[in-house]
Amino acid sequence: MSNRWTNLLQNKTIIVTGASSGIGRECAIQCSKQGANLILVGRNPEKLRVTLEHLDAGKHNIVTCDLSEPEQIAAINDELIRYGPVQGLVHCAGRQKALPLKAFDMNEFDNLFRINVSSGIELTRIVSSPKAFDKDGGSIIFISSISAVKTEKGKLEYSATKAALNSAVKTIALELAAKSIRVNAISPAMVKTPMLDSLFSELPKDAAEKINERHLLGIIDPIEIADLSVFLLSDLSKKITGSNFIIDSGYSLT
Amino acid sequence: MTRQQLLTELKGLLETETELTVESNLKELEEYDSLSVLSLLAYIHRTFDKQFSARQLNNIDTVQSLIDLIGADSFNEQ
Repeated sequence: MSNRWTNLLQNKTIIVTGASSGIGRECAIQCSKQGANLILVGRNPEKLRVTLEHLDAGKHNIVTCDLSEPEQIAAINDELIRYGPVQGLVHCAGRQKALPLKAFDMNEFDNLFRINVSSGIELTRIVSSPKAFDKDGGSIIFISSISAVKTEKGKLEYSATKAALNSAVKTIALELAAKSIRVNAISPAMVKTPMLDSLFSELPKDAAEKINERHLLGIIDPIEIADLSVFLLSDLSKKITGSNFIIDSGYSLT
Repeated sequence: MTRQQLLTELKGLLETETELTVESNLKELEEYDSLSVLSLLAYIHRTFDKQFSARQLNNIDTVQSLIDLIGADSFNEQ
């Protein structure tokens, strides 16, 4: 009897956004280890090439795109069709922001919403078209955040965008079920990424220590997000859709 | 911007009743908490186009030290 837990993504073509670093890069690497062909999407071609060098052999491609610009998303449509049909998308692109209510600014919020919510929805609209996506369906994953369900002071804008994303996941899952495309969210707490290093360098030392303490099982490693992503992209999870998977190291219990 | 304008803006930003001078120690104000620091960082970025970390802001105490951090050249009077 064959082992159902090896080569989980053999011959699948998977798009990974935010693939130039952090969670996106690790997702791409782990997908390639499971036999996937990757389409790496990001703003910086040099960084995408570094990710490419870390991948196991396969038919991998790089697509340079600033996902906060609708015109640029539309422009990559042809490339996605050329490299497809795709069986999966992991949308990791996003931005952190710490700002309390009294510093709220509508224009800045609109910009963050566009990056954290609208761009992923627009990309999904394009990718899920019959021209780009496999007719037998597949899986789409949005990397959300524990902030969507367990917020903190100063996380108003970021939490609101991630909660919106989780809500969007449910609607999109409903609409794409007819195409056998499953849609789920993964909501991590703090993950060891360049984004976290940057955040910790900005915070007062005691605030950073408090955050560390609240991760009862330690700060999360990107590979732990990537492992769940591989499972959700694979046929092992073929009846899972519209769900939000929390990986928070016990953070929301504290 | 003048120093006086900054003092007025700070008073509003911190929502404090205390009259501020350049000698005022921000850390001694009840209203100066971690959220105020985040608000102040955003205010400095939007007003002076300068970005600092919360850790850098943690090193300042008086309004004068805040002015020094932002840079005296950002104020149009001595």
